[in-house]
Amino acid sequence: MTRSVTLPTTLDEAVAALTAMPAAVPVAGGTDLMVDVNAGRLRPAALVGLGRISEIRSWEYQDGHGLLGAGLTHARMGRPDFAALFPALAAAARAAGPPQTRNAGTLGGNIVSAAPTGDTLPVLAALEAVLVVAGPGGARRETPVSHLLSGRELLNPGEVVGHIRVPLLHAPQTFLKATGRTGPSRALASAAVVLDPARRGVRCAVGAVAPMPLRPLEAEQWVASLIDWSMVRVAGGVALAPEALRAFGDYVAMACIPDPVPGPDGGETPALPPAVLQLRRTVAALARRALGRALA
Amino acid sequence: MTSSDAVTATPAGGTPLPSARPHAEPAPHGLGASVLPTDALAKAQGTYAYAADLWAEGLLWAAVLRAPHPHARIVSIDTGPAEAMPGVRAVVTHADVPGDANHGRGVADRPAFARDLVRHYGEAVAAVAADHPDTARLAVAAIAVEYEVLEPVTDPEKAFEAEPLHPDGNVVRHLPLRYGDADATGDVVVEGLYRVGRQDPAPIGAEAGLAVPRVDGGVELYTASTDPHTDRDRVAACCGLPPEQVKVVVTGVPGAMADREDLSVQIPLGLLAIRTGCPVKLAAGREESFLGHPHRHPTLLRYRHHADGAGKLVKVEAQILMDAGAYADGSHEALAAAVSFAAGPYVVPHATIDGWAVRTNNPPSGHVRGEGALQVCAAYEGQMDKLAKALGMDPAELRARNVMATGDLLPTGQAVTCPAPVAELLRNVREAPLPALPKDCPADQWLLPGGPEGAGEPGAVRRGVGHAVGMVHLLGAEGTDEVATATVKVDGAVATVLCAAVETGQGFTTLARQVVQEVLGVDEVHVAPVDTDQPPAGPGARGRHTWVSAGAVERAAKMVRTQLLQPLAANFGMSTELLSIADGKITSYDGVLSTTVAEALEGKELWATAQCRPHPTEPLDDTGQGDAFVGLAFAAVRAVVDVDVELGSVRVVELAIAQDVGRVLNPAQCRARIEAGLTQGVGAALTEHLRVARGVVRHPDFTGYALPTALDAPDLRIVELVEERDVVAPFGAKSVSAVPLVVTPAAIASAVRAATGRPIGRLPIRPSAVVTE
Repeated sequence: MTRSVTLPTTLDEAVAALTAMPAAVPVAGGTDLMVDVNAGRLRPAALVGLGRISEIRSWEYQDGHGLLGAGLTHARMGRPDFAALFPALAAAARAAGPPQTRNAGTLGGNIVSAAPTGDTLPVLAALEAVLVVAGPGGARRETPVSHLLSGRELLNPGEVVGHIRVPLLHAPQTFLKATGRTGPSRALASAAVVLDPARRGVRCAVGAVAPMPLRPLEAEQWVASLIDWSMVRVAGGVALAPEALRAFGDYVAMACIPDPVPGPDGGETPALPPAVLQLRRTVAALARRALGRALA
Repeated sequence: MTSSDAVTATPAGGTPLPSARPHAEPAPHGLGASVLPTDALAKAQGTYAYAADLWAEGLLWAAVLRAPHPHARIVSIDTGPAEAMPGVRAVVTHADVPGDANHGRGVADRPAFARDLVRHYGEAVAAVAADHPDTARLAVAAIAVEYEVLEPVTDPEKAFEAEPLHPDGNVVRHLPLRYGDADATGDVVVEGLYRVGRQDPAPIGAEAGLAVPRVDGGVELYTASTDPHTDRDRVAACCGLPPEQVKVVVTGVPGAMADREDLSVQIPLGLLAIRTGCPVKLAAGREESFLGHPHRHPTLLRYRHHADGAGKLVKVEAQILMDAGAYADGSHEALAAAVSFAAGPYVVPHATIDGWAVRTNNPPSGHVRGEGALQVCAAYEGQMDKLAKALGMDPAELRARNVMATGDLLPTGQAVTCPAPVAELLRNVREAPLPALPKDCPADQWLLPGGPEGAGEPGAVRRGVGHAVGMVHLLGAEGTDEVATATVKVDGAVATVLCAAVETGQGFTTLARQVVQEVLGVDEVHVAPVDTDQPPAGPGARGRHTWVSAGAVERAAKMVRTQLLQPLAANFGMSTELLSIADGKITSYDGVLSTTVAEALEGKELWATAQCRPHPTEPLDDTGQGDAFVGLAFAAVRAVVDVDVELGSVRVVELAIAQDVGRVLNPAQCRARIEAGLTQGVGAALTEHLRVARGVVRHPDFTGYALPTALDAPDLRIVELVEERDVVAPFGAKSVSAVPLVVTPAAIASAVRAATGRPIGRLPIRPSAVVTE
């Protein structure tokens, strides 16, 4: 078996290389892929390294949106200039593991790996980010990030996530993560809250409790109707009553971790195990704190 | 060419083995000075050669097939497909073990390879040697083993009734202890149930070794062993060889805490090297390391404490159930420690205690620093908190009223003859100033639970302070013969120490150098590498090298000193006691005589060999009575924690410790060892538990098994090192590493109780136990 490593310098070259070698695996930071290779779980016949494609390693503005390269590292996203525009994404990037991982791991890799604990994923879901996928022959198609994460749409052979289009909202955004220790570790649960004052909307996504980020849409609409939008981020102002904030947390938690439904024959409803109830309380606290910090 | 010439370590192309080379510039020397460990710089710079770095010309790579089930009958093993693979040189299974089928510490109950039964997940079934590590891995996967999967016994409480997992039965040991009046009762009675999880030693340098066949049919093993002579004997027995045909050379020990006492890679390596006639190397990966070595005994403890109205303890009743896993390993001694110290360092007139170590299909449990003592400390200190609540007393005050002192009796009937300054230790940590409250320090300096930029919210954080006291025993218990032999050689201005005590980070090589510097006044002291051609010095655990091995070095050095001084003294008609040696010079008491050590030697080499053997101990009898321990060490810890009561996250803000050390021999290392023990205790209290689902280890990696990081390590405050010399110990010193680890989890649990008001009965502390609803 011959193994090869290709290092294209443009997206189209990468697509061409992947199309030419269907067994090849694209690799960017390698923080997930190389773990599998080292453990012997993955034996790629060929690798296409995406690290030299400069067009996907930066970001730019484009008519009210940020167009983020899929090769942006977590370390880059954590920097102040990025954080000023995409605060929740920056917070998630800073929370994603130790510096070595953040220096190598990329935004696109986080999306394509689609690990349930991927820290940027709930933020992208709350931002309703759109992926720009590069395909053979210079083709570009756009697909919502949630479609890829939920498996509604998959990447076709030869396709590579090139960019991520994220709205510039100029409004508070928060990301919070509960972990088992103080140092870097995977999320037990995470929550992202994005305010959209222009549309008077609240968007929330909960990560790590399901295979993909969950959006509690009813809770979002309910709480958006209660917020006094003129008081958001006003010193001393109260944009949302504390009881409503608490209720929002519980609403989100119940939506993400619902009570079991009774069986069709009206049999006994199984009780949730204590660990799941604790996870629900954690989600409630995270959602409440995330919205509270966004409004205050 | 002898086989050892062929063995080199790759990194830096330097010396194959770490040798003791003191610094050229005047460095601190002698007892009580902070002499630097010789390997510290190499380890910090990454140039130190670990066992995994060993290499020999033409070596083969070994891989071990590990069972995918916790309990299964082996119907058949077909090694044919693996043997047929190109590059595969040998495949061994139980059928290829020429000697003893079983081995073990104390009880030989563990097969070299699983024979008819697999008794725990990850048990070794077969091993392969091939010319490439990938080939070895693929060959292991090609071995066809047909299993008949059996229902695993994973609940230790059910092990009593279950079908025997082993011909020796499921109860490895039952140790009852009856002390005083079994019918005594107190005015106040509190009961509690406690569980302690499965802490893993989690050595960063995973198990590795290199075996080189010898021309006489024997084998030389280069491994990071901490008990080379026992390893040699066990490998020889399994390989059907006389012990003198097996040589163990200790190399590249990455720091250990008794976890390397059990054979992990030695037997497969030895068998494969003999079979193939080639050097064979095995380097375990992280997962294999987690599966291969023993863990801390998960323990279930039921307690009932009786006290009078003034808070004086009347009686302690306890049932202690330790999960030994499939094999006995270190369970006998862990149980003895748990039962003997079940009441803690408190005066208790009456005690009724029963301890069991039982077999299950869970991962094996064995020696891990503070085994037995840590589990009961968490329980008896939990009981003291409960008792304080029932009595309406301050928990620290209740402890102070009950602590033991020198001369008091353990529940085993043994009088505590060593210094036991428990009251002083507790007073010291109680009186130490508390860390600043968050409101008194700048916001950016307050690290909330959850870490920087985490989810912690100041309004939901509660602070708690808790105290705990605890004890461990030093040296092996219950009649273990703890002896070490050491040789000291002086040649010119250089002294050499030969002793088979393995440096595992406990500081033996540094201490041996300090002892020789002190006794012989020679600055340049080398400590020779360890192999089994030297006389045995025993395992590196329970402070034995600080006691017996350094004690033997001191005796040998003193013998050399006498040999050196006697001719001089005779010449001048004075006794050798009137001569002193310092800085390479010999001077008489009156300053008249002055000569250098080198001159006094007259070109001769002086050698002396000595042994150190502490006073004997006896096994505990069938009521748990007996003088089972050589020495005890104590510590008091105060923990300050911040708890986010909504998320259940805990951050330890500060640990303050006062410890009974006997005598500080090397201040820097003493403090480093205490700080390491405290930090490991933070892991045991909050995150470290190897999770197992129906006998199958979940997440054997450092993502799933969360060690404390630098952000989790609290401020460590060593309030006081109480130096009351233990007259029976060489130098009067006590080992320092284990007791901080033993006491810390209990102190943290106590602090979390104080912060939340919740009963904390389980370690590590889970978020759901902390959340106040």
